[in-house]
Amino acid sequence: MDSLHAIGFYVSAAISVGGGLLVAFVPGRGARGLAVAASGLGIAGLYASLSADFAGLVALGCYAGCALLIAAPRYRVVDSPVGLAWRQAGAVAAAGLFAVLAYAAFRGDFVEATYRGGEIGTAAIGRVLFAHDALATAAVGALVFAALVGATAAWRVRERGR
Amino acid sequence: MSAGLVSVLFVAVALVAVGAFVATWKRDLMSALAGLPLMFGGAGVAFAGAARFSAAGDPKIFGQEVAALVAVAALALVALGVGIAGRGTSR
Repeated sequence: MDSLHAIGFYVSAAISVGGGLLVAFVPGRGARGLAVAASGLGIAGLYASLSADFAGLVALGCYAGCALLIAAPRYRVVDSPVGLAWRQAGAVAAAGLFAVLAYAAFRGDFVEATYRGGEIGTAAIGRVLFAHDALATAAVGALVFAALVGATAAWRVRERGR
Repeated sequence: MSAGLVSVLFVAVALVAVGAFVATWKRDLMSALAGLPLMFGGAGVAFAGAARFSAAGDPKIFGQEVAALVAVAALALVALGVGIAGRGTSR
């Protein structure tokens, strides 16, 4: 990875992690949606700096959709019955998860080699998606379908209940 | 300046941990839902990084494929969560 890509990688990493932290601490759905969008922009930049341009484009669109959903006027507050102590325990567990995974990342390494990609490569990824890993693609398609049907049904039930 | 596999995995770990933190810390379940794409993004970055730095011979695009699928799955799950969200007041 050359210096330009490395700078892009670290800047994108800062944007994505910073955006994630903003999601945790900013109040209001609009600001939270913007934070998700910023985090998604950073993640797309990470993909681009890792020569995964196509995944970056897909992620950019998907995270924009997530930000719109989270910032949309349809947003409803659903308070959790879980108490403060349990939420604090969950936050501490998240810190523990970070420590364990960071240790694994620090210890984990394997043989590096020259990357010969370097282009968007939609045709190659499409061949893998629809030929080699068609089952996984179909599973994600089924998930999207179930999500859209579930969301539509939930919206209809909620509108009918008013 | 350079970035290797360990740097990529550190960023991926940070994203997963921040997502887990958001999911557990926010009292509002809809806000907690925003942690889901962060965790999925961390997983995708780890896959893309492994594909980037383990490429030997022909370009390995399995990691990119999984990263794209994970992004789509995150969007679908957020849409499902927003749809399933119960009745409440708009904030």
